[in-house]
Amino acid sequence: MRVRITAEAFDPQAEIASFTAGRDDAGALVNFVGTCRAANNGAAVETLRIDQYPGFTEKEITRLADETGRRFDCPDMLVVHRVGVIRPGEAIVLVAALSVHRANAFDAVKVLMDYLKTDAPLWKKETGPQGARWIEPRPEDHARRLQAEKG
Amino acid sequence: MVARLFHRREAQVVRLVFLGKFGDMAPADLAQIALPGDVRSLADLQAWLTRTEPQLGAAMAATKTRLIVNQCVAHDLSQSVADGDEIAFLPPMSGG
Repeated sequence: MRVRITAEAFDPQAEIASFTAGRDDAGALVNFVGTCRAANNGAAVETLRIDQYPGFTEKEITRLADETGRRFDCPDMLVVHRVGVIRPGEAIVLVAALSVHRANAFDAVKVLMDYLKTDAPLWKKETGPQGARWIEPRPEDHARRLQAEKG
Repeated sequence: MVARLFHRREAQVVRLVFLGKFGDMAPADLAQIALPGDVRSLADLQAWLTRTEPQLGAAMAATKTRLIVNQCVAHDLSQSVADGDEIAFLPPMSGG
């Protein structure tokens, strides 16, 4: 499993190209890219800041990716997560999974994203014309997380 | 009086890390702090923080706060605090 926390903007296509280079053992590649929106619930977003707990954040995301990869029999998964100040339009997170057939790769990406929303040690703060506010997981994020656990 | 208390038991110096919204509330001098001698466990530490920083204590009590000691999740608040520990306080997470 490959996990990278980065304070620099990243190019999801380049990350995927490097992740899949030389792989001929997987028939399926599924990826998800989350990007920063210019508005959240009708309020303009100027910047998003994501804080990490250095060391612990990468360790925990690696643990979640390992568990998910094992569960869905994916030979490899990739997580790239931005931290620091992010502007609308920039990628926040990339999750990709390789598997022999497509169903496992789709499931692995969905479940790992559900885990990242509630269990990855990251904290988002949105700043807009109305000021700044910390974002916490929504009830639907917790519901999806529970569903992901049940399978 | 305070000096005498410290005499009885060597003061423990710990590093405290406050993440997310807790980081906005915690004064910078808590980053490295000599704890009073009666702070022996994580529960004692939380109680002491609530006494010294009531706003921060209230914010921690109002939400699900996780404690991480030396990069490992603490499941039991009776866990001892040792000199040199790094203890982090995590509010609910919001990745992805």
